[in-house]
Amino acid sequence: MPPSAPAITADGLAKRFGDVRALEDLSLRVERGEVFGFLGPNGAGKTTTIRVLLGLLAPSAGRATVLGHAVRLGGAAWRGEIGYLPGEVAFWTHLTGRQTLDFLARLSQRKPMDRDALLERLGLGTEVLARPVRTYSDGMRQKLGLVQALQCRPALALLDEPTKGLDPLVQQAFYGIVAELRERGATVFVSSHVLSEVQRLCDRVAMLRAGRLVFAGDVEQVRRTQRRRVSATFKTPVDAQALAHFGALVEAGEREVTLLVTQEELPALVARLGMLPLADLVVEPPSLEEAFLEYYR
Amino acid sequence: MSVLVLLAHLWRRHGLALVWLATANGLFEWAITRVVPDPSQTGFVRQILQMAPAPVRVFVNQEIFANLTTQGFLGFGYVHPFLLLLLAVWAVRVAADALAGEVGRGTIDLIGSRPVARASQVTAAAIALLAGLTLIAGGAWVGTAVGLRSRPLEGVTAVDLAPVAAMALLLFAVFAAIALLVSAAKRESGAAVSWCAAIVAGSYVVDYLARVWSTIGFLRPLSLFRYYEPQRILREGGIATMDVAVLATVGVVALVTAFAVFARRDL
Repeated sequence: MPPSAPAITADGLAKRFGDVRALEDLSLRVERGEVFGFLGPNGAGKTTTIRVLLGLLAPSAGRATVLGHAVRLGGAAWRGEIGYLPGEVAFWTHLTGRQTLDFLARLSQRKPMDRDALLERLGLGTEVLARPVRTYSDGMRQKLGLVQALQCRPALALLDEPTKGLDPLVQQAFYGIVAELRERGATVFVSSHVLSEVQRLCDRVAMLRAGRLVFAGDVEQVRRTQRRRVSATFKTPVDAQALAHFGALVEAGEREVTLLVTQEELPALVARLGMLPLADLVVEPPSLEEAFLEYYR
Repeated sequence: MSVLVLLAHLWRRHGLALVWLATANGLFEWAITRVVPDPSQTGFVRQILQMAPAPVRVFVNQEIFANLTTQGFLGFGYVHPFLLLLLAVWAVRVAADALAGEVGRGTIDLIGSRPVARASQVTAAAIALLAGLTLIAGGAWVGTAVGLRSRPLEGVTAVDLAPVAAMALLLFAVFAAIALLVSAAKRESGAAVSWCAAIVAGSYVVDYLARVWSTIGFLRPLSLFRYYEPQRILREGGIATMDVAVLATVGVVALVTAFAVFARRDL
């Protein structure tokens, strides 16, 4: 990979399946060494985007590069540096776990140098690996999917819904693995609809809605641009409407008022509240969930 | 490199079936050599039929008369539906599974996201198909050879049957190429199997009906089975160049198209 090349670029990427527009005019840039969250509800176009980036689907319009290489249908060489976990991971059920990992490592044409460490951290033992994949639970298959994606130490990991079906302990182990990938300088592209996960893992995030990019930026920026939830309780009744110009009135009682207020309006509101018989004040920081819902409303 | 890895993968998936198919065909052709009448017996049958009334002799056409020989009966073993079915099973099963099967299962994502050219996937499938058909057709010939060694029949040797086995291989290599083309275009193994089975069965039925029903005799060249006539090969002592040319042309066109279709499609 050229040292200055971004891990991923997309420029006006679109994909149509007949009359269905799965992806429209998607432009984004993911830098090397970044953990990038790709958010959206089911059917938003997350998986389609990843499959276009991998050359599994031909874009209807636009272009993309991955690790400095122009993406084209079936292009092969550059994919040796990629680890991919599909959203609906499927295996050859007659193979054992170990046979599956061996086969896929050989196809990657790289040594599975991180396999043993991943197996240990995700709790896939030797005995499990000796069993045919058809006997695996969904969680085991997901773990096997993670190991096959990351075993050859990829420069870019494309992980589509990586924690689906994992129990909380294994999820924690996965977060640790992503942190190590980041330290090692690998780029991680995580598609998810689990907001807390993206909030925890990612440096930057992009949000898709109905195939269109509705936001791309820092996770912190998402929070900053979102409105805080301010709940004020008063000792005596107040006129809630007098506070309405500071933000959106959510609840208005005689002694209690709840508003959604932007960060810029917050100092003025607090100053105004200080002039009122204030008994209690709660300012809740916006969660990514609220930000997400606001974008999709 | 990736072709070899994919070939090993296909062998792991289909190797056992291949052993069974080759063995079954070998045993079948061996059994044919045990029951085939010797030249004195076939001569007797011909004499009986020649004494039959004229309408009966017209009904039993010249081709059947011509095949009432030891070679003709041995050749019958190579047009028997049992042998054709086993060759077709391999051609359709492996072709449908190697491309459409991977797409349908979703496992194509794991292969397609690695540095594996799509042409490598088609190449591996084509090699596996050809190698398997060679073993199955070869197994049939070995069965004949072993049978003729333990029960020599006057005027016929195993070498006479080698061109017949080779043509069986060529015919089903062409069907395999067509099956690979269907598989390259389909999203499910089941759909690919249905189409391929319909093509093989349709071709067989067209050839059969066109032979027994003169009104539709003009359709016969449209069937691939028209170019595979073991009994004629045994009677005339060689393969017709035109038959080979037609089959080879159809096979190459189907294979090249399969490469092109799979390279351009969404997975």
